[in-house]
This record gives sequence, C-alpha cells and structure tokens, in this order.
Amino acid sequence: MRISHWINLIACVYLVVSGVHIFLDFPELYWGHTGYRGYPAAFKLADWGLSWEAAGAIGDRRWGRNYHFTVAWVFLINGAIYVGWNVYQRHFRWQSFGYAGNGSYNSLQKTTYLLLIFVYVPLMILTGLAQSPGFTAAMPALLDMFGGRQSARTLHTIGTVLLLLFVVVHVAEIVRAGFLTKVRSMVTGQ
Amino acid sequence: MVKRMSRRTWLTSLPALSGVLLTGCSRETFMPPRVRGGLIGAADVLTMATNRLLQSRQPLAREYHRSDIADPFPTWNQTNPRNAEYQRHLSERFREWQLPVGGLVHRPASLSLDELRSLPARTQITAHVCEQGWSAIGEWTGVPLQLVIDAAGGVLPAARYAVVDTWDGWYEGYDLFEVAHPQTILAYGLNGRDLPTGNGAPLRLRVERQCGYKNLKFVRSIQVVDTMAGFGKGTGGINSDFGFHWFAGV
Repeated sequence: MRISHWINLIACVYLVVSGVHIFLDFPELYWGHTGYRGYPAAFKLADWGLSWEAAGAIGDRRWGRNYHFTVAWVFLINGAIYVGWNVYQRHFRWQSFGYAGNGSYNSLQKTTYLLLIFVYVPLMILTGLAQSPGFTAAMPALLDMFGGRQSARTLHTIGTVLLLLFVVVHVAEIVRAGFLTKVRSMVTGQ
Repeated sequence: MVKRMSRRTWLTSLPALSGVLLTGCSRETFMPPRVRGGLIGAADVLTMATNRLLQSRQPLAREYHRSDIADPFPTWNQTNPRNAEYQRHLSERFREWQLPVGGLVHRPASLSLDELRSLPARTQITAHVCEQGWSAIGEWTGVPLQLVIDAAGGVLPAARYAVVDTWDGWYEGYDLFEVAHPQTILAYGLNGRDLPTGNGAPLRLRVERQCGYKNLKFVRSIQVVDTMAGFGKGTGGINSDFGFHWFAGV
C-alpha cells in the first residue's frame, strides 16, 4: 500500500499542474451561479500582476483538461483502493494510524491526515463535479451544496492553494523527523 | 505490457458493459465515436459512461429563475461568420434561410425559420457552461432537435449520430441519447427576443448537459449518419479533431 502514496504523489502533481493550466486560461474567479469576463469578479489574477493575455499565453487548457480529467480517475481509483485496503486492515483506528515503522507522528499530524483523506479530498471531488454540466444535470444537489457552479470553481481553486500549503508543511515535518529515514520507510516499509 | 493492456481493456469495458446491461443502450451511448489511445481514452470512456449511467433517466439540467438571466448574454468566439451566403441571409433577416435535415431519415426535409417556429416550442432558463470556466444563464426558446428530426420522418434503423454543421465551418456529432433529451433544442430565441447575431442567429443548438463548445452557433444543416468516420479527422466533431474531449459533460 505504500505504492499508493507514490501513485498519489504523481497524480496530485499532474492534477495541480493541469489545474493551474486550466485556471490560467480563464484567470478570474466568481461567486454564485454566474461568472464571465466583465461580470463582477471575486478574484482577478490581473490585480496580482499577471494580465489576462499573459496568463493565457502560459495556460494550455486543452492539455490541462485532457490530463486533469484523466489523472482524476487515477487519483480516484488509487484513493479508493488505499482507503478500502486500510479500512479492511483497520488502519484508520486512532492509535494505529500512521505509516509503517514510526511512532513519531503526533496527534495534530494524525488529525491533519484524517481531515485530508475524509474531508478535504471529498470536498475537492465534489467542488470539481459541481463544475461539470453532465454531473450537475444528474445530481443538481451539487449546485446547491456550494452555492453555484462559480462558487464551486472558486472553492476548488482555494483547495488547490491549501494543498500546496499542506505539501510545504508535510515536507517540512518529514525533514524535521529525519527526511532520509522517513522516505526510506515509505519506500521500503522498514 | 500485456498485463497493462488487459487492465486498461478491463477499465475501459467495465462501465460500458454494465451500462449496456442496465439500460440496453448501444455502444454510442457510452463511448465516443473514436476512443483515444492510452490512459486518456480509458478515462474518456469512464467519464462518459459514468455520466450516461447517472443520466439514464434523462434528468433535466437545472433550470433557473428569470432573475438569474444575463442580459445582454455574453458572446464568445465567432460572432459574425464571414461566409457570403450567411451574410446575404443576415441582410435579408433570414427570410430565405432554410435548415436542411437529411441523411438517415425517412423523408429528408428543409425547414424555414417560420416552419421551425410552428413546431412545438420549449423555453428553458439554463446555464451555458464554457469549458474555459465561465458560465452564464440565459432563457432559450426553440424546438427540440428530436422534433425537427421527426419532422423529417424520424431516423432510419442504422442511424447513430446527428451531425450539426454551421455557417462558420464548425461541425459536431451528437449521439441519439443526447438528441432525445427534452432540453436538446435548436434555439431561435434568447431572453425573449430573436437570437442575436453574436449568439448564433438565426439558430443555435442547446445541449444543456455538455460544455459550451458542443452548443454550436449559426446552425446550417442537420444530417443523421451511421458513423462519424467521414467527417473531419473522424473523431466525431471539430473540437475533438482539435484534441478536446468529444463528450464534453465535464
């Protein structure tokens, strides 16, 4: 099951990079059901120094959309196997949560990982689906859940920023706990 | 390699297979006309099959309130095709304009704008969802595509896709499941007025469960076919010829 962590890492890198590409091609965020160029925006990348045209020159949404929606399935299937296996192994019990060969993660870290898996990931999936005309036709509750398609897009983007913050903290924690030891334990299980 | 292929085949075929078992629908309902290679193609099929399973009872896309409408409705991409024949129709306010409905139908026909307006109309306040990320709500009035095809005698047994082509040189294929949806309409009205030129006058397609690029503007003709092989690069539409998703439900 350690391999699922590394599949997950690759999937997340692809999801973030492709997501950024998609965002850069339309670098404004809105709240509610409606949002288009000229409509009052909640966030404009142009206000932060990158113009619409400059952002569009970097962003490739065709590549981005193709990879985002492909890797989303890799992420989902890998995650389902990971969670399923750990539920089967009763791995999510509080005292045993964590990775192989460690006793050094504290309860704040354990809480963070549980929130990440059972709160953050479902919210990212739902805010993603809430932007899809196909899924929202079948499940209109997705639209009400977040107050509209554009709100969902904004929350999905905020979620991406939170994920990047998590990665910084996650790597810093591992460094503090002994980078080589932890990475070795995640690769070999020793 | 053999193992990877078999896993991919399994991933690819499982949702479609279960879909066929559940609804008795054809392959076209669950897979794009041409499935791309590799993981991207497998994901395309998973995405389309999942959507179609969830949509098997043809639920309506969300319809909004009048107060949600964007007026004027935003315009994007082509707003006035340069085609000389189109320009003539535009200057004549589409008096002579006709919509040919042909291919695998019982009685190929050509319908004027007045004839389209005389068919049972449907008005829906729905969101136009662009794959770029923007969305806007408009009140669309038009005639269900299924009724237009029925006006040409309905489809022959070999029919699989309806191909819509436009005055600005676009084309897209739609499987018959999408055609049959009540909100799949050929709209001649927007926000209570005739469809403006910038939004695709005189007629545009509304496919409310797919992204904006499947909602073709400036509709020129409808053709029912058994395969998309003879059109463009054969992927099923101009957008997928360019490398975008053929099924644009996401």
